[in-house]
Amino acid sequence: MVKQALLLVLLGGIFAVFYLVTEDLSELYNNFGKTYFQLNGLLETGSRNLVTAIYLDYRLFDSFFEAGILLVAVAGIIWISKHDLNEKNAQFMLDRYKTPDLFITFSRIVYPMMLVFGFYVIINGHLSPGGGFQGGAIVATAILILYYIDHDRETNIKQIVTIEKLVFFLIVLVASLSLLTRGEFFTNFMPLDSSVASKAIYLVILNILIGFKVALGLWTIFTAFLREGR
Amino acid sequence: MNPLLTFIVVLIGFYGLATSKNIIKSVFSVTIIESGIILLFLNLGNFEGGGIPIVGESLTNIVDPLPQALMITTIVIGSTVTALALMLSIKVFHHYGTVEWAEVLGRKDGE
Repeated sequence: MVKQALLLVLLGGIFAVFYLVTEDLSELYNNFGKTYFQLNGLLETGSRNLVTAIYLDYRLFDSFFEAGILLVAVAGIIWISKHDLNEKNAQFMLDRYKTPDLFITFSRIVYPMMLVFGFYVIINGHLSPGGGFQGGAIVATAILILYYIDHDRETNIKQIVTIEKLVFFLIVLVASLSLLTRGEFFTNFMPLDSSVASKAIYLVILNILIGFKVALGLWTIFTAFLREGR
Repeated sequence: MNPLLTFIVVLIGFYGLATSKNIIKSVFSVTIIESGIILLFLNLGNFEGGGIPIVGESLTNIVDPLPQALMITTIVIGSTVTALALMLSIKVFHHYGTVEWAEVLGRKDGE
């Protein structure tokens, strides 16, 4: 009881600090970045979607390390799930024969639609809401449904991780191509005065690569989880 | 939306982190804190009646695209961190046979 009261007092204190911080929040924030992106974003990057313009051109360095963190986390998950030294209770996993037939049937109908929708979101990332990360998550969810349709499906995890590393290397390669054409790292490899449509080539390529990378990474993660339960 | 509401979401996560007796629930609490922070950042560039940040789509003034682009990073990293924590808790379950903090730490009082 005393602990609960102390905890509530502590949370109230944190809330008070937050409240004091928000007094200045509207003064700290300004509109300069927004107006710059709105005026120059399409001309400089060739992307109508300004969010894509930021994470594929202005802040590509961030996205690069984000993909790297995904790769490292996948490697860590595989490494943790490998060492089965002292297992006591390993029979807790779901009963694979209790998946309803209705669910399996609808999964077969929904699966191709989800794949197509995922690829649409990836390829149209520079025109409409979406992009490589979101579309990759949709494609990975579609692949997850495959495991419900076919229970005994086996996936070679090592192959997927090898492909993922190759795709990561390709992302670095495409991002570094701008060194040859523009003389600077991590930006669009098309010249600055080329048309908006030709600049979109770079965005589509990078969106597809990032989408594949995210899809393969999430696929590996839930394959590791499924293997843990078997 | 008032940013204080997002702080309340963060505080709910803190409360869950402090009081939960289950490892899985602690992982969920971390996820709730992360959601609160994502809401705070999206709230920064947002305003009433703002258009989507796509050139040519919205006729009105757009919302700020920079916090949204940053939050994509946060969401992807958050999902991988959650997956890593859940895999570790599976390993804890295999090793100790339980996911209760008190039993894992060897205490009897349950607090």
